[in-house]
Amino acid sequence: MGFLVTTLIFVVIGIIACLCTRICCNRGPSTNLFHLTLVITATICCWMMWAIVYLAQMKPLIVPILNEGE
Amino acid sequence: MARRLRLFKEQMTKAGVSPSMWSTRDDHFDLEHLEVKLEELEAELLEINANNEKLQHTYNELLEYKLVLEKVGELFSSAKNKAVAHQKELEFQTTVEGSIDSPLLLEQEETTTKQIKLGFIGGLVHREKSIPFERIIFRAARGNLFLKQGVIEHPVLDPLSGEMVHKNVFVVFYSGERVKSKILKICDAFGANRYAFSNDSSKQFQTIREVSGRISELKATIDAALIHRSTLLQTIGYHHGQWRLLIHKVLQRATMDCSSQVVAIFQVLETTESPPTYFCTNKFTSSFQEIVDAYGIAKYQEANPGVYTVVTFPFLFAVMFGDWGHGICLLLAALYLMIRERKFASQKLGDIMEMAFGGRYIIMMMALFSIYTGDASTTGFIKVRSTYPFGVDPKCHGTRSELPFLNSLKMKMSILLGVSQMNLGIIMSYFNAKYFKNNINIWYQFVPQIIFLNSLFGYLSLLIIIKWSTGSQADLYHLMIYTFLSPTDDLGENQLFVGQKLLQLVLLLLAVVAVPWMLLPKPFLLKKQHQERHQGQSYDLLCGTDDTLESESQSIAHDHDEFDFSEVFVHQLIHTIEFVLGAVSNTASSLRFLAHSELSSVFYDKVLLLAWGYNNTIVLIIGIFVFICATVGVLLLMESPSAFLHALRLHWVEYQNKFYEGDGYKFFPFSFTLLTDEDEL
Repeated sequence: MGFLVTTLIFVVIGIIACLCTRICCNRGPSTNLFHLTLVITATICCWMMWAIVYLAQMKPLIVPILNEGE
Repeated sequence: MARRLRLFKEQMTKAGVSPSMWSTRDDHFDLEHLEVKLEELEAELLEINANNEKLQHTYNELLEYKLVLEKVGELFSSAKNKAVAHQKELEFQTTVEGSIDSPLLLEQEETTTKQIKLGFIGGLVHREKSIPFERIIFRAARGNLFLKQGVIEHPVLDPLSGEMVHKNVFVVFYSGERVKSKILKICDAFGANRYAFSNDSSKQFQTIREVSGRISELKATIDAALIHRSTLLQTIGYHHGQWRLLIHKVLQRATMDCSSQVVAIFQVLETTESPPTYFCTNKFTSSFQEIVDAYGIAKYQEANPGVYTVVTFPFLFAVMFGDWGHGICLLLAALYLMIRERKFASQKLGDIMEMAFGGRYIIMMMALFSIYTGDASTTGFIKVRSTYPFGVDPKCHGTRSELPFLNSLKMKMSILLGVSQMNLGIIMSYFNAKYFKNNINIWYQFVPQIIFLNSLFGYLSLLIIIKWSTGSQADLYHLMIYTFLSPTDDLGENQLFVGQKLLQLVLLLLAVVAVPWMLLPKPFLLKKQHQERHQGQSYDLLCGTDDTLESESQSIAHDHDEFDFSEVFVHQLIHTIEFVLGAVSNTASSLRFLAHSELSSVFYDKVLLLAWGYNNTIVLIIGIFVFICATVGVLLLMESPSAFLHALRLHWVEYQNKFYEGDGYKFFPFSFTLLTDEDEL
């Protein structure tokens, strides 16, 4: 469930970033499309990075071994 | 007819007649009558102009003639008076001295005899030319002549040029025909007008009277002609506006009827060359575009990979570099370069500094992403839930299971990111083919590539995610190998979900089919396309293997086409092999994501903590110094370029290789300076 919640957080942050970019850097339709592409790509990359690390730790096969020895 | 109207307009402007502002409503005019009338008027006007010019010329000549006669008369009278006075003086002396002066008298008689044979020429010459004129005449005749000039007070109208010019009247006395011919030539060369006259005073007066009479007659004639011309021009002006409007309408109608571009002033030159490529960039995006252009310049209107490179390049660097501490160091360096931007831009930097300054925005982006990925994969917060919310669990640090876990994590992460990147590249090839309306590339290049890649490596990514989600202990390595070696055997303990065996069989079959799908149809379709274009037939999209056999039979029949089938086939074979093997090696090369962080941990543990353990100030100082040198020298200055180059290769090979042809050339504005440089080269 934490995965879905954080994914939703990333989506919201992405949308807010798109709106901020549109408002702050409005320079014609072509440049706006370029900025939108950059923001979406960055959001997806960051989400992917987080998601991979999170998924890897959901049910780890290799758990931290606090004692010395197998 | 428009030309004649322009002529009339010009003549009216010269004469000071303005065309009437209102135009008469005369509907009886049609074009044929108008043309005849304009022709007649033009002929009449030209004749009047010619006659006026002749009359004016003659009038100017007569005026000059009159002036010459008057001046020459004065000269002759003056000379005569002087001669008389001189003679009287001589007689007086003879009387006084008697017989002593007898020889002088004889000499005088001889002089009088010679004077009878002298000739003379009179005329007008320009005042500014009079002195050289006089000098040259003396040289030509070797001084054997007499020249007299008189100034005319007011300017004279020149018959030839029609301008008011200051002139002098001249009279030349000479002896001999040879000298006369020389003088005549010199007069012609200097543009001097000559006029005949007599040396008899009574005849001179008579000639003056005749010339004056002719001048008066010509004056009256010229005035009458001017009045007539003015009347004609006024008549023309009365109708000029209407005529012009009518002709303009007719021209417009003719233009529309002919559908011709009369007003076009430029001509398009057709060429079969591909246009050059130009991408509009600013100081932020230009460095990323340079990374793309180093691989190849895009073909005209080809999709630009530089757009996604702005984000994906720094991200991939960060995945490899992945350290928030060193990321902050990079960020500080980039900020310094950006703050000193204006100063450095005008300076002459060294090679390394020039490159760093040029890529300052790349460095900033790489630093920001490094800080993020460092947080996401290394440090973390206090554990409060079952799964660590952000980053790697810090309890994992320092344990014996840290290295296996991190290696496993990064290996799988590399595969996931690599497959995503390759899929993005193939999707870009779809958009390229769609834009250029190349259906062959869509159905026989994009579709089989997507199928092949995702049947094998996409499926592997799916297995990775399922394994993480379910906590299964399946061995993906063995699973993938035995999918190829023995696809029909039982999965045993490696089974992850129900129906996996059947799915693997289907995917394997799809991958096997995709390879000949990429290889075979495209060359045959290109060949058929060429034939139909050559024969002017319409193009039909082929589908199915039966048509392939038909194409093969056709290829046997048309073995000597201009279209080089074997070359296209070999090219497609190379491309297919490159993609299949590339998919394998590119996935493996994604494992270069594993770099850097191990090295960072080694320096931290072995140098700094070891020095701290000795509990000695001197050893601690030495340890800190070594750690700083290792951090700056190895991790920042050496490891950063290494990660940079790896990210560069990932972009060029895994991403751009999937869709980018890059066989265009860059746009350069035309410049003569460049031509000069090229000539020097």
